[in-house]
Amino acid sequence: MTKSNSKSKIFELLLYPLPLLAFVVVWYFATQGSQERQFTFSSPEKVLEAFLRLVQSGELLQNCKVTILEALSGFLLGTASGAIIGLSLWYSSLVAKIAKPYITALATVPIFALAPIVISWFGIDIYSKIALAFLSTVTVAIVQSYQGAMAVEPRFLRLMHVLGASRWQIFRLVVVPSSLIWVLNAMKLNIGLALLGAFIGEFISAEQGLGFMIVKASGLYDMATVFVGVIALIVIALLLTSLVDQLERYLMKWKTQ
Amino acid sequence: MSNEVKPLLTIDGLCFDFSGQAQANEKPGNQILNQVSLTVRKGEIVCILGASGCGKTTLLNLIAGLLTPSKGSIELNSQKPTKRLGYIFQSDALFPWRTVKDNLLLAADIDGSLDKKTLEQSMLQYLSMFHLSEQILTKYPIQLSGGMRQRVSIIQSLMFDPELLLLDEPFSALDYYTKLKLESEFSQFVKERGTAAILVTHDIEEAVAIGNRALIMNAGTLQKEFLIRSEAAVMERGTSDFAEKYREIWSELKSVVGEIQ
Ligand SMILES: Nc1ncnc2c1ncn2[C@@H]1O[C@H](COP(=O)(O)OP(=O)(O)O)[C@@H](O)[C@H]1O
Ligand SMILES: [Mg+2]
Repeated sequence: MTKSNSKSKIFELLLYPLPLLAFVVVWYFATQGSQERQFTFSSPEKVLEAFLRLVQSGELLQNCKVTILEALSGFLLGTASGAIIGLSLWYSSLVAKIAKPYITALATVPIFALAPIVISWFGIDIYSKIALAFLSTVTVAIVQSYQGAMAVEPRFLRLMHVLGASRWQIFRLVVVPSSLIWVLNAMKLNIGLALLGAFIGEFISAEQGLGFMIVKASGLYDMATVFVGVIALIVIALLLTSLVDQLERYLMKWKTQ
Repeated sequence: MSNEVKPLLTIDGLCFDFSGQAQANEKPGNQILNQVSLTVRKGEIVCILGASGCGKTTLLNLIAGLLTPSKGSIELNSQKPTKRLGYIFQSDALFPWRTVKDNLLLAADIDGSLDKKTLEQSMLQYLSMFHLSEQILTKYPIQLSGGMRQRVSIIQSLMFDPELLLLDEPFSALDYYTKLKLESEFSQFVKERGTAAILVTHDIEEAVAIGNRALIMNAGTLQKEFLIRSEAAVMERGTSDFAEKYREIWSELKSVVGEIQ
């Protein structure tokens, strides 16, 4: 790396927090000295106050833990089973054809509409939230990995046919590895969806989790706590996304070598 | 003397149209190949020349079993061809997510009866035969030049110990000097191992340089055959023999391809 190059890199890094900083400054001055505005929009220092209070009481950590557990479990279950189903649909175009309208139906139902049913089936514990996170991620994983399986380059399939490979060998040695990038894409989309699923569950009925914390706080007009919850959700999403990015770099190392 | 030996590959009265095929995108009854007959002996390189769209790739796909003939027969060693074929395409089909070594050892993944140790030994032999360094084994295909990738593709198919190699314009995407080198390495290999090859090319020079025979294909039929040499030896470019063969084939091909300035 040249000197000017690394310099511009540092400059770029300094630019990242700038919009956030600008937002906080505007927020701060806009809400300064007005009880009414602070009641509606809260303010940076009130949010910081609430944050420290929630950290000290252990509430924030506990609620984060619950939401992460729900979202991550649903995410892993949904993405893994979706990928297995989607890739397996490669085996039979008939099954894929029949499955298509059902998958579309499941994908188009708003998860919000399913939430009351799922909660009445699984109870108000974390299981209903895991189920909702699962339902909101599984379809994306199915669709993405099926598309990936169907997008395998014909020259790879031709080679395998010429070499006398069985269908299972073609699946294992070509379809799965070449669809990996699609599965990773599904994972990226699913982080947000899993959090949404878990959140909706908590929002509707729960006794813990960030969704619960936010609902409770907004019922008490405690905007500062609401903001802390929202920020926590954003941070969790960013952390999970960077995990997937890391996984992608590891699995796709042949691309960057 | 090789004329007395039973041919390795015998194709008899082969016809083909896409009407019975799943991926047909043309109206049925359109004959792609019509009464193609051809024999290939061990140690021979048979070149097929012809205009684009005349059915060369289709012929190779039929031999490789990727397509089913509508009429006629294909026999390798008096049997239906099974696995002992190598097929090298114009652009390589190396798996980008596998290292060169794992690409070369694909045979071990597909045929469990093959011994991995033996495969690795022959892999190293082939590498030196095709002038590749062992250092490339840990690389990924994306890191190789076009010529190296095509060499790796050839070696990959050799790992299955094929009796017959099918090559579809394998050197056409390479620069001139890489192409010359690969041609001579390849014909050297065929000569040493006594393998047979069908080489589809649009390059008369290539056919004259390494082919034993050249067949001119036109609209799905084999129209004319030229004998180039009986031994797999490289004919020096620039000699009058070379020019003579070139001219013969060119004048035939010109009538097939049409008006070319
Ligand atoms: N899947 C297909 N369905 C219908 N026609 C095809 C298909 N593939 C190739 N063809 C036709 O078969 C003919 C021969 O094609 P091909 O064997 O690829 O020619 P070549 O390799 O000599 O250029 C062409 O006219 C082409 O249009
Ligand atoms: Mg072709």
